[in-house]
Order: sequence, then structure tokens, then C-alpha cells
Amino acid sequence: MRAEQKRVKTFQDLILALHEYWRDQGCVIFEPYDVEKGAGTFNPATFFGCLGPDPWRVAYIEPSRRPTDGRYGENPIRLRLHHQYQVILKPPPPDIQDLYLGSLEHVGIELRDHDVKFSEDDWESPTLGAWGVGWQVWLDEMEITQFTYFQQMGGIDLDPVSVELTYGLERIAIFLQGVESAFDLNWSADVKYGEIWHEKERQFSIYNFERADVERIRKMFELAEAEARACLEAGLVFPAYDHTLHCSHLFNVLDARGAISVAERESYIARVRELARGCAKGYLKLLEERRARVLA
Amino acid sequence: MPEFLLEVGTEELPALDAPVLARALGDRLAQALREERLGFSGMEIHWTPRRLAVLVRGLAERQADLVEEVRGPAAAVGLDSTGNPTQAALGFLKKYGATPQDLKRKVVGEKEYLFLEVRTPGRPAQEVLQELIPDILRSLPCRKTMRWDSSGVAFLRPIRWLVCLLDNEILPIRYGSLTAGRITRGHRFFGPRELALNSPAEYVEKLREARVIADPRERERMIRDAAKGVEGEYGVRALWTEELLGILVGSLEWPSPVLGEFPGEFLDLPTPVIAAVLHEEGKFVPFARDGEPAPVFLGFRDGKEDEKGYVRQGYERVVRARLRDARFFFENDRKRPLAERVLDLREVVYEARLGSVWDKVQRIREICKRLVDPLGLDGEQGALLDRAAFLCKADLTTEMVREFPELAGVMGGIYARLSGEPEEVAVAIEEHLLPRTRADELPESTLGTALSLADKLDTVMGAIIVGEVPTGSRDPYGIRRAANALVSLILRKRLVVDLFGVIDAAAEFYPRIPEGKDKHTVKGFLVDRLRHVLRDDFGVPHDIVEAVLAVPRGDFLGVLERAQALASLKRDAALAELAQIFERLRNITKDHGSTAFDPGLFQKEEEQELWREYLKAEGKVRRALTERDFAGALKALLPLGRPVHRYFEKVFVMVEDERVRENRLSFLKALLSLFLEIGDLSVLAV
Repeated sequence: MRAEQKRVKTFQDLILALHEYWRDQGCVIFEPYDVEKGAGTFNPATFFGCLGPDPWRVAYIEPSRRPTDGRYGENPIRLRLHHQYQVILKPPPPDIQDLYLGSLEHVGIELRDHDVKFSEDDWESPTLGAWGVGWQVWLDEMEITQFTYFQQMGGIDLDPVSVELTYGLERIAIFLQGVESAFDLNWSADVKYGEIWHEKERQFSIYNFERADVERIRKMFELAEAEARACLEAGLVFPAYDHTLHCSHLFNVLDARGAISVAERESYIARVRELARGCAKGYLKLLEERRARVLA
Repeated sequence: MPEFLLEVGTEELPALDAPVLARALGDRLAQALREERLGFSGMEIHWTPRRLAVLVRGLAERQADLVEEVRGPAAAVGLDSTGNPTQAALGFLKKYGATPQDLKRKVVGEKEYLFLEVRTPGRPAQEVLQELIPDILRSLPCRKTMRWDSSGVAFLRPIRWLVCLLDNEILPIRYGSLTAGRITRGHRFFGPRELALNSPAEYVEKLREARVIADPRERERMIRDAAKGVEGEYGVRALWTEELLGILVGSLEWPSPVLGEFPGEFLDLPTPVIAAVLHEEGKFVPFARDGEPAPVFLGFRDGKEDEKGYVRQGYERVVRARLRDARFFFENDRKRPLAERVLDLREVVYEARLGSVWDKVQRIREICKRLVDPLGLDGEQGALLDRAAFLCKADLTTEMVREFPELAGVMGGIYARLSGEPEEVAVAIEEHLLPRTRADELPESTLGTALSLADKLDTVMGAIIVGEVPTGSRDPYGIRRAANALVSLILRKRLVVDLFGVIDAAAEFYPRIPEGKDKHTVKGFLVDRLRHVLRDDFGVPHDIVEAVLAVPRGDFLGVLERAQALASLKRDAALAELAQIFERLRNITKDHGSTAFDPGLFQKEEEQELWREYLKAEGKVRRALTERDFAGALKALLPLGRPVHRYFEKVFVMVEDERVRENRLSFLKALLSLFLEIGDLSVLAV
């Protein structure tokens, strides 16, 4: 129906187009990290990549799991698992906003025919001990990207700072394909998004909201936490970080299950943050010892 | 006379912060120019989301010369007996390159000194400006700062370019990694990326050609006019909020209206829900016709009209999706009567030490019971109030309120009505969060007012009793705002209620914990908020506020009315006379407790006279107080000034004879207590 939609017709084409664009900007094209996480920010390529003085450009897709956002597959846009496209630019170039807008044009959005706004939105992840300043980017008043200048990660002030771009791929694809529900998207020319994901949304919603065994999940949290601590003591930063990610996800499941009181929430978050801080410190130590540059 | 332009080019500033920063930039530049003796005839402030600019007209080319008198040696040291300069004076002259004829003699204190008038010639404006601007930029008050490169500079959002022109000349100031030039930028999508300015004067017009309206007032006009156009065409009324307008003006460089419609099938949603959807999602302006929502909305695209209609399609799709969500919530929520949800509140934590929201509801009910008599409610109203209190928080468990927290209370009212609750109950729930701030609208109904009072009092009391007293800018529970709203509610609704009595009666329902505070802290905190509200919202002068707050009272309205009575009589000479002797009266009776005296022990004529005047006044004062005629009470006190003066002139209070002395003190104490019914007059600045 619109001329501009010629280029990127499917969900996978959108991913490939972004890969292409950011590869040409000198990014390492990374993969999703194979541990469950709530956002692309938790991927080691971002968490560790933002720390330390070395320049770093990376782009990857991240399937992000947020148990509380599950809607049993009944909501057209709210999903327990959605796909983020994540870009980190350290240090950010002065024309970073133009670079970002260029990526939208590259996937076929004619900016002069639409309405793009950068609307104040400061970002914070208490579990990662991270915060930043930036915007939500709105395309015809639909939120498509979180644009953040990270200021702190793992409780450590960043210098240089990094810019994180987090594209909501389902939303952009909905826009490009002119459909109203994520499940109606064409993933490829002949497979629908819903065919891959709908039943998974339903089952995980049932699990997260109704079935997850609270006592067992609590135990799993404790075990992962203990394992993370042990790794930190042994100076094994990366295994420690994997277990930190497990903790963060298990906390999210407990939260969706309604098993965490307000008072407990603070202490759970503090426990995960403590681990994340430990990982950040351990990583900086590695950098000092010159045993690592950017490790993902 | 030269013109000067400074433009700070940024990435998108938060919409409501940009005007604050632009004003600060203007204020600080004006102040710095004055301090630097650089005159100017006018200043214009412009801003958009991407720029803060200040244009100075009629700027002096140079600083005015600075003329200072410099003191040298004492005349006796600097001049010899014939009046010629000594070595000391010659050194002084040499230092300032002056000659003996320039010396002046002047007496300072007891001694005569030699002086020189030293003139420092003014420096050119361009030199001074280049020193000033970086400091001004550094001093701009950001709510939060960020770094975007390693230059060490911090601001609210990244600064990407600087324009600094004095007439057609660039002042190449440096700030962070930037050097100022003459290049500004046009609209992000519809203007040239770079745009050279020849002179400050062409700033506004050049930007207009580049699709940027630099003047925020003009943008506001464009936005309002667009809404008026819709109002006229559709016979509807725009549902504006200050915030919505501020965000629109602050987020657009060239507001271009886009009118959208949504299907009529959504019109059965309550107006507040439709307004919340439109306000939230991208800041659309909702419209209503005769109080009912209209199926149109106005959005603003930045830059240019939506020629192809794609933007409108996009807006409409977003709005449809959100309205569909809202209808889904609305239909789900209605499946259960509101009363059934109340039990769920046991699971909703209010505060670790204060329990669940259910516990809060129980406390609110207890407070409401204690408001029935003071507010003159009958038995039936009391029962309705209790029902409203029981239900008032149940909407927190609805999907609609979880999605749109600002609809709390409002949805409760709507769902109560749909659940068949009495209309009075629904209205009370709907209104019970009003006023949210001290300037917000008030509840109209009596029950809504009572419920609001109880809810806010519980919020404040609960937090303080568990030890969360706000300090400085730290106020995690928003207690100050709640307390301000509570005080404002009482004063603006003119509620005659003894808040201290209610606090005493409700105290037993709060936990006692070691680090917690007691009910006296609650009272003190509320009195302190009353002090602020009296001063800031009711314009009561500082001294009068302190006078009426000297005796803490739970009847806050009475405090306001006393203050107003004092203010109305402030110029009265008799009041000044009373104020003058008040301190003496207070000091002399400071350590004395009793107010019981025996007139038979009075010895002096002045005592008798004061006693007679006291009796006359006391009757009138007590009567006026029961009628809450505080001006009347004060007027009745005024004639006492003269006799009290005479009393202190003629009567020696602290006599040897203990009986006489104690009796005099008791009498004076009774007199003092009568004055204190209005306040401590000694602090009045009369």
C-alpha cells in the first residue's frame, strides 16, 4: 500500500537490513546471548562492552523475556518475549542522532512522510546498577526505540559514555507491514510470526502467572546466587555474570507470579545488583591486568 | 549599537525543561552584562526543543569606564609640613601612574587620608563576552546532568553547536569540545542541516525559512488556533491540560496540526478513559461535546503538514489500538462488582510497616467515623461515607488503573456506579483524591471532602508514625505534597474541624515502632505545612503567620481566619499599642501558671480600671469566638491597650506581699490568655 514498504517485507528482512546498516558503521555483529534476560542491555556485549576505556561498536538482536508483560498471546503488541535490536556505540559520534535516523531510512521508513519525535525518557536498571539519559523515539506516535546515553553501569561511572539504541522490532515491523498485531507479521515470506510464537506466549503466560513453583524458583535463585558469588571469589567474572543473569530472570518470574512483596522486592533487586557490581569490578580488574579488551 | 546573539544548539531537550533553561540563560546573561557594566536596550529569549537562544539589542560597544577611589597613606604621613608629597605618597602615585595634582584628601573615621581617583578604561564588549559566556553556560540550572563526550562538560542533553555573533562578527568562544561560529541548524527533516547567519538580527526570520519557529509564544498560538479551528468546525470543546500544552509547545519546532478520528464504537468508554488514552499516547488533544467525548482528536506533527495522510493513518492506528486495550480493560474490570475487589486489597502492599492497602482502608474508615460529628453529618450520611471509604481503594486492583494510574479514584467512581452503589458513594470515591496538589480542583460533595481529608490524613500520619519525616529534598512518600493538599482542602473548603482532636482519636490505629515518631510530630508537621500554605497561597504576611501559630491549634480554618482578622486591622494604632506591651505581659507571667485571681485584692486605681475593661472585653471576646467572628474578638481586645499601658506605668507587680503579687500575676496571666485566643501579638511588625 505504500511505496516505501517495498524494501523490507518481512521480520527477518528487517533484522538483516539493520545488520547491514550497522555493519557498515563499523559494528561487530554479535549474536543473542544464550542466557535468558529481560533486555538486550543484559547481554555481556553491552554490560561489559560499556565498561573501560576502549572504543566498542556492536549490534545484535536480543530476544528479551519479560514474564510480567505476558498476555497469553491475546494482546496484539504486548508480549512476554519480544525482539530487541541493540546497538552500542562507544564513544558516541557527534552525529549519532542522524546515524540512528539513517537506519530508519535504510529499513524503508521515509522520514519526511512521517512524524518522528525524540521524547524525554531517562532509563534506569536497578538490578544492573545502571542508568542513562535519553529519549523514547516515536514514529507517528508509536514508540519504536529507546535511545540512551549510558552514564553508569554496574555502579561504575562510564568514561567514555556509550549510546545504546534499542529498537522494538515487532513495533517497527507492524509499522512497515501495515498490520495491527504482532502475530500477523510475516516472519519470512511464508511463515507468520504467530505461527512461531503464539503458542509459546500462551504457555509461558500460564507458567509465569499460574504454574511456576514459587518455592523451587526461590531455591533456584538462591543456588544461582551462591554459584555467582563463588565464581566472583575465584575471579571468574564471566561465569559469575551468567549466574547473575539467571538470578535476574528468576526474580522476574517470581515477580510475575506475584510472589514478591514490596519489601522483599528491594532486597532481591539489591542482591542482583550486588552481583552485577562484583562482575563490573572484576571485569575492570581484568582490563587493568590486560587480560581482556572487550569480551562478550 | 551592536546586537549580540548566543544560540546553544542541543539534542532534543525535555519539553518542560527547555523554557526553564532559556529563561535562566537570559537572566544570567542580563545579570552578567549589568555586573560587567555593559549596557543594553533590550533582550529577546527564544527556544525550541533543539535550541536556547538569547538576542541582545542595543549593546554597548565597550564597558563603561570603572572609576574607583583608592586610599593611600594618611595625610600626615604622605605630606610634609609644606604640603608636598613624601616618599610614601610618591610611591602611591607611581603605582597608579598619577601626579601630585591628582591627590585628594578625605577624612575617614578620625583620620585624614590621601586618595586617588583611579579610572580603569572599559574593555570592548567582545572581549568581555568571550569570558562570560562559558561561565554562564556552566551555571545553567539542570534538573539532572549527563555527559556525552570526554570534554568534562555536562548538561541536560548533549550540546551540539554554538552560535555566538556580535553583529556580523563571530565570537569564537569555546565550550567543551565546541567552538562557536555562525552556523545554526534548520528543522531536522524540513530545513537545511546547516544554515549560516550573517547577523543576530536575522535569527528569527532565517530560522522561519528553515522551518523552525523560534518564538515559543508563536508556537503556542499556532497550537491553540489549530484546536480552536476544530472546536468551531465540529462544535466541540478541546480538553486541555497545562501539561499537554506545555509538552506540545516544548516538543515541536513547527507545530503542524493533524486531525484524527476514531470509530464511534469506542464512545461508550467513559470520557476520562478516552482523555487518558489520548493524553498519554503521544499527547493528543481530546475533544468533548456537552461533556460527552467526541470521536476526534488533534495531534501535532513537527515540521510540515501531513500531505500524504500517512501521519494521520499512523496516529489513528495507535489511538485505535490503545482504545481497544482500554475497552478490553473496561470490560474485564466490570465483570466483578467493585465491593468484591476490596478483599483483594489485602494482597496489595501499601507500606511494609503500615500493612496492606486493606489496612489503610480500615484506618481511613476509622478516621471517617471521627469526622462524622465535626462535619455535622447525619446517620445516613455517616453510613454512606463509611461505604465510600470501604470502596475507595478497590479500583487499584483494576486493569484500567494499573494501566492508567492517573485514573485512580475516577475509575472507582465509575465502577461503583456500574456496581449499583448509591450515587453519593460513587461521587465521593471519584472525588476522594482531590485536591492532588494545593492548587488542584477541590471535591464538590461533602462526602468526597470528608473522604479526601481522611485519606490524606492517613497518608501523612502513617508515614510520620513509622518515622518517614521528609528532610530537605528527600520526601520518598510524597508526604509534603499530601499534607499541603490536606491543609489546602481544609482552608479552601472552609472546614471547621479540630484536626488535632481527630489525630488524637485515630492514633491508636497506627503501629508503634522504635524508630517511629508520635502524634505530636504529626501535628507539628501539619502546622508547619499550614505555615507555608498561609504564606504562599493566602498571602498572609510572615509576622501575622507567626503570631497566629504561636498557640498551636487543630482548627486550621480558625488559624486562617484569625490571620485575616489581624491583617484587616494591621494599620490600627490600638493594635500597635497592644503589640508593644505584649512582650512585657508575656515575660512577666512566664513562670506563672494560675489564671485565678481575686479582684478584692486589687489596690490601685489602674488595677481596677484594667479589671473593668477586661471584664467588658472578655464577654465580647468569648461571644465572638463562639460565633467564629475573629475580627470582632480582636476589636473587643483593642481597647485594652491603653489601660494595660497605664497599669504597667503605675502598678508594681512584683511586690513583697506574696498574696498581692501572686494575685496580680494571675490576673495578668488571665489577660494574656485572652489575647492568645487570637495570637502572640508581640511578633507583629507594627
